[in-house]
Amino acid sequence: MAAKPGSAPVTYSPNLGQKTRPPIFKDNDLDWVRPDGRGFHQCRPAFFRTGAVNSASGSAYAELGSTKVIVSVFGPRESKKAMMYSDTGRLNCNVSYTTFATPVRGQGSDHKEFSSMLLKALEGAIMLETFPKTTVDVFALVLESGGSDLPVVISCASLALADAGIMMYDLVAAVSVSCLGKNLVIDPVLEEESYQDGSLMLTCMPSRYEVTQLTFTGEWSTPDINEAMQLCLDACSKLGKVMRTCLKEAASASQE
Amino acid sequence: MCFFPLFRSKENRLTMGLPNASGDLSTEVEVDAFRRLFPLRFYEKHLLESIRPDARPLGRARETTIALALAKIGSTTMLAAIKMEVMTPSLETPDEGCIAIDFHMPPICSPIVRPGRPAEGAPVVAKQLSDTILSSGMINLKELSLVSGKAAWMAYLDIYCLDADGALFDTALLSAVAAFSHLEIPVVSLNDDGKIVLSEEQGLSDREPVNKEKRKINLSSVPFSLTCVLHKNYILADPTAEEESIMDTIVTVVLDSSSQLVSLHKPGGTVLAYTSAIQDCIALTRQRVKELQKILEEGISGMEVD
Repeated sequence: MAAKPGSAPVTYSPNLGQKTRPPIFKDNDLDWVRPDGRGFHQCRPAFFRTGAVNSASGSAYAELGSTKVIVSVFGPRESKKAMMYSDTGRLNCNVSYTTFATPVRGQGSDHKEFSSMLLKALEGAIMLETFPKTTVDVFALVLESGGSDLPVVISCASLALADAGIMMYDLVAAVSVSCLGKNLVIDPVLEEESYQDGSLMLTCMPSRYEVTQLTFTGEWSTPDINEAMQLCLDACSKLGKVMRTCLKEAASASQE
Repeated sequence: MCFFPLFRSKENRLTMGLPNASGDLSTEVEVDAFRRLFPLRFYEKHLLESIRPDARPLGRARETTIALALAKIGSTTMLAAIKMEVMTPSLETPDEGCIAIDFHMPPICSPIVRPGRPAEGAPVVAKQLSDTILSSGMINLKELSLVSGKAAWMAYLDIYCLDADGALFDTALLSAVAAFSHLEIPVVSLNDDGKIVLSEEQGLSDREPVNKEKRKINLSSVPFSLTCVLHKNYILADPTAEEESIMDTIVTVVLDSSSQLVSLHKPGGTVLAYTSAIQDCIALTRQRVKELQKILEEGISGMEVD
């Protein structure tokens, strides 16, 4: 919606070149510090809050560093007319980005695969047979993208589902690890993700110790994969505790 | 009126139950059923007592808060953000910048918005916002000029609705105003290729910046709005989504900080508004502008202390 009719001027950001940092981790460069000063195996502090959106059946807000997401859950409600009859419930997921989520305006729409990955990560944890013939909609909006967006969306979505009272076997916690040369860094920020040689994301149900989704891309060696998975599992169980505390706080606040 | 005896009997019990609806769970359930089945009558019963279901008098707006560019009226929540980019100004206006305003209703904000298709009311609100902000004279586009004829700022203002519960336009306008009042323009210079770049990042700190002074935008007359719902002779200020859907005649009045009328919007509806009703709406808005001005000032000064 341009202010002047009939003209769509070409614009550019004055923030031209990316800050050029020399290639990292090429030669056992262990002096390198993470942009936010964390240790390699240290996650960002996580903040969760349920009940962010009143008009939804359930919702949650999550903030890890500069990554900020909101997830709303609607339903269970009538499935679309075109849907075939189904004995079990359906899950419908959508992830979208705000235009100001990324440093360059309007770059965040390039995540079509996130919606289906979110669906696959949650599906296994939800008791779909408890809402036959209906659909539960899970919609996520990334307000600011600061790295590890999908894991944050998944963890936040499982909290929103719990807030909506959808029956689940357990909460779903998700953590990703980036492989930079010979080093593994957990919970990477945007800058680290842009340099990574490979990435691994693990989503699991912490108290059942069951993995719902495991994806990796890029170059990996077998020992690295083992180490990364163990890192993720440990981090997920810790994240799970934070999420559980958030739910307990919300429940005790509503009782008072 | 109703063919189902079941409904009628429930309703009868209700009319007895309503005045002392306190604590008794069975009464509460039936009030809720009555509200869903006969929403208009439910509201009319309240209007007779000059009160609304959320315990507000008719002319009172909901609690309003502003934090940076996040505005909240009741549970309606809007988040605004401005991105500044550089453009070549058009030949007709070589020393003016431009503002592009967009309003989004992502599927998270309301059960009626589905992904893939735009929300019904969103384009209307977007157009209204764009018209109001550009015609109010709040921002002098000349202030957005960098190098006359060569470069000027294009301000992309994006407003996201995070929670929709009525009075979308009012909340969106408030968040837009808040975003502009926090806007800080970075120092930029002209590099050798004739492009505008950030001074610090490109090592051009020694070069004379092109916008040494224009780092903040002066807001000359700030527009504030109030939406009212008309039903029979009643005027309900700052309606919730439920009120907007049940009583469909809406009047939105926009006044600037010196109480001058910027725009008046009444998109049809079943109630024909008489002059007196419109005057009452404007009077309510005038009061509301004073409230909003105070809230906005508090929001800005609160941020500066930090």
